[in-house]
Amino acid sequence: MALFLFVPFVVVVLISFNSSAAVQLPLAGVSLRWYRQVAGDPLVQAAFERTALAAVVTAIVSGILGLTAALGAVRLPQRWRTVVFTVPLIPLAFPALLYAIGLATFYHQIGVGFSIWATITGHVVLAFPFAFLVLGAALERFHFTLLEAAHDLGASRWTSFRTISLPLLLPALLGAMLLAMAISVDEFVIAFFTAGTQQTLPLLLYGRINLGVFPSLNAIGTVLLLISMTLAFLAARTTTLEAR
Amino acid sequence: MTTATGTASGQHTLASPVGTSPAGWKARWRIRTSTALLLAPATIYFVLFFVVPLGVLVLFSFYTYTNFDWTSRLTLSNYSQALTNPAFRAFYWRTLWVALLVSAIVVTISYLFSYIITYVLPGLRRALYFLVLVSLFGGYLVRIYAWRTMLGTFGIVNKTLLAFGLVSHPVTSLLNSDTAIVIAMVNFLIPLGVLPIYAAMQNISPHLFEAAVDLGASRLRTARTIVLPLSARGVKAAFAFCFIGTMAEWVTPQLVGGPLNQFVGNAIQYEFGTTLDWPLGAALALTLIASVIVVLGLLAIPLRFVYR
Repeated sequence: MALFLFVPFVVVVLISFNSSAAVQLPLAGVSLRWYRQVAGDPLVQAAFERTALAAVVTAIVSGILGLTAALGAVRLPQRWRTVVFTVPLIPLAFPALLYAIGLATFYHQIGVGFSIWATITGHVVLAFPFAFLVLGAALERFHFTLLEAAHDLGASRWTSFRTISLPLLLPALLGAMLLAMAISVDEFVIAFFTAGTQQTLPLLLYGRINLGVFPSLNAIGTVLLLISMTLAFLAARTTTLEAR
Repeated sequence: MTTATGTASGQHTLASPVGTSPAGWKARWRIRTSTALLLAPATIYFVLFFVVPLGVLVLFSFYTYTNFDWTSRLTLSNYSQALTNPAFRAFYWRTLWVALLVSAIVVTISYLFSYIITYVLPGLRRALYFLVLVSLFGGYLVRIYAWRTMLGTFGIVNKTLLAFGLVSHPVTSLLNSDTAIVIAMVNFLIPLGVLPIYAAMQNISPHLFEAAVDLGASRLRTARTIVLPLSARGVKAAFAFCFIGTMAEWVTPQLVGGPLNQFVGNAIQYEFGTTLDWPLGAALALTLIASVIVVLGLLAIPLRFVYR
């Protein structure tokens, strides 16, 4: 079954190295010509930059929102905490298409044009729940007595934050932000309805798939896969998302 | 950022009785205010960028559409069109049966996978779960594109079938069919199915499993009487995730389903992207949400009798 899961990836990655223009296996020969073509394509470069911008901004905003919300949530009484940790699951289970058209009608109604920034506001909605849950889980395991000990020993609030809270929470924060980047890089539906003419890499890929079969599509797809899977891999290693 | 530490140590003041003295009341009030301040940014963000947009979508579904534009005169005609147009009805039925089929397949595969990595091959558990987890976050569009290449007339699926002599001519009906949609959707929904089922299985105490085996229950009986009932929540969640995901899908039917095998999602995308009849698109979207809720509710009724 793990094989079935990864067959599409293997096929795209293999064909991306084909030396002939035929989109099929077995390969005629191995070459990097499609990567060279893609690297020299100004549209791909622009899309790549936009994708990177969206990923970084999404990571920072959802990291800040996730950290503040998680710090607030762990202080609530147990009864409220359960509610607060369940609510963010709603956007996770909510269909992306319906949220995307909702966001499009929203920006239209308030008279703001479509752009990568509109898309980013949507990506944060998708990424925030993960950041919140990862950081919330880290805080549940956090020993608050450490801070009391630091306080009793005369440390200022800033010192104990810098020397205790930050180092202990940093892996979770980093993991949450990497996960947010992975989600943003790979996201297609919200970008489709709200980015307007400012294409991201998935939008560019989609546009070209509809134009026909180009061998360079596999190279773009491989780059996209490599970025999002590496980010997800690093995120899973840094957080305890894989715990148990 | 200093408030961060303040809140953290504040938790203990909150848990321990502060008393009713004016000073204690003041301390409690301060803790409550800072908790509210910490929760505020995320709450405001969600109301503004999640709740309000969905409210605007509801509003749009009542707007009047004329000649590629709409006015804010409220009408119910979008809904009557969404519900009575026979073309839309065909889309609804196709979407519904494909969604049920896909969810059932994904849940079955995910269940077997989770069961095997938990109870049969525990040595590989972490590694395999890790692979599934990582694949959840990568390559939505790339996967669909890959199936488009693989299922084509000269794709690797046909080549393999020909090489093994299973068919004499390439099967042209692989791509642009409901089968193609089901294969591609099952492929990218499996991680979403494994996640809740696997989590539910990890919560089952291994002692229960061992006790059943020690008392002489067969593997099948243990699986049926211990594991299945105790992981039922995970199964339900997995089914719901996959069902919701498939019901609102439009990219897969468009790229591998072909022009004749469209979903409600494609109609919504068409109204938003081509005819610019946003009010009708919004009405279709909201009837879609309603039908998802109704179907999941109907499915939950018989389950309640099985797992009482």
